[in-house]
Amino acid sequence: MSYSLYPSLHYGARYSYFVRNVPANFVALLETDQENRGLKEKVRALEMKLQESAAMTSENERLAREMRLSRMLPWAGSWARIVNKTPADWYGSFYIDKGSEHGITVNDTVLGMQDDRAGLAGRVFEVYPKFSKVLLLTNSAASAVCSIAPSGMQALVEGKGTWLLKVNYVPEDAEMAEGAEITTAPGGLLFPPGVYVGKVRKVYPRESFMNFITADVAPAVNVNTLEEVFVLRRNLPRELAGPQEPAK
Amino acid sequence: MSLILEPLLYLASGGFYWWWTQNLTVFGLAPNLLFAAALSAAILAGPVKGIAWCFMLGLYADMLGSGVFGGWALVYSLMGYVVYVIKRHFDMASPFSQLVAALALSWGCLLFYQGLSLVFASINPAGLKIFLVEPFLNALAVPVVFQVFYWLKRRSGIL
Repeated sequence: MSYSLYPSLHYGARYSYFVRNVPANFVALLETDQENRGLKEKVRALEMKLQESAAMTSENERLAREMRLSRMLPWAGSWARIVNKTPADWYGSFYIDKGSEHGITVNDTVLGMQDDRAGLAGRVFEVYPKFSKVLLLTNSAASAVCSIAPSGMQALVEGKGTWLLKVNYVPEDAEMAEGAEITTAPGGLLFPPGVYVGKVRKVYPRESFMNFITADVAPAVNVNTLEEVFVLRRNLPRELAGPQEPAK
Repeated sequence: MSLILEPLLYLASGGFYWWWTQNLTVFGLAPNLLFAAALSAAILAGPVKGIAWCFMLGLYADMLGSGVFGGWALVYSLMGYVVYVIKRHFDMASPFSQLVAALALSWGCLLFYQGLSLVFASINPAGLKIFLVEPFLNALAVPVVFQVFYWLKRRSGIL
């Protein structure tokens, strides 16, 4: 009835609650918006913290694994962090944060830990008081005398300046299968025997003008993911340990 | 004043490149800021100072790597001389010409260094990845580094 006679009063009465509460609703909306922005900010900060802590956890796990592995090694040594890798010499060398003040000497063996195993990364090339330069085995100028499983046949593993190594001077009648493990040979002076170097990836057939075969070797240590290295203390002969300090 | 500021700029360039390669490399790739600094200095400075800057930055690059020591110093010094010759014929102040020069000279430097290493040490230092990608990164970095060096030159009179 009221609707027919006084439609304005009818609708006014019906919606007065909403009309009366418009300012309050509007304020609530603004507050909600502000709260929403604050919460979004908080979520973003928490996500950042979560990522940070995930990175720290994974670093912690990696370091713990590496420490556990290094305790099982038969050689004494110290850990060092890689402090610089130059893109122009990515597979050639890098700097570590330990130097002569920490007992590092020229030609010390440098190991990297990967897949729960220690592998040969290279050797110390230049030593400064607080840092050193490491010559990687993947450097074109680096090589190591190695033995190939299972026969134990010795061959020269050389760097190529790429992520792969090359095993050279293998007699053509030698047994060398793809996947064979390569470790440092007992005869080598620079590296201790038995250090894992890599796996044979591809064997090349003998060229008609050569009397030996070659193969590509996937190195044990991936330089792209390496962050810490283990430097072995070696009591090398004087002539291999680099320049000595003059006697006082 | 420039006697103090120029060594500081040199150290800052080297230090910044060190920091970048330690923290911001992607798949082992980063713009060669030493190259960018050498090219910018060669464009902005006179012939003697430009080549001296290139030589010193080349020595820094040699120190970081394990190749033929002095190789980069020689390559960058020659680049400094080439820039001195070409800047008399081309406007090297525009970003586009810097970009083109960076692209061409990056490849030139890499090839020359590769040749030097093969001749004197029989080693193959430059990877294919660097050869294919770094010149483009350098081309993007050079105009930016040039603007920074140019701003410093106008403000403090160095270079």
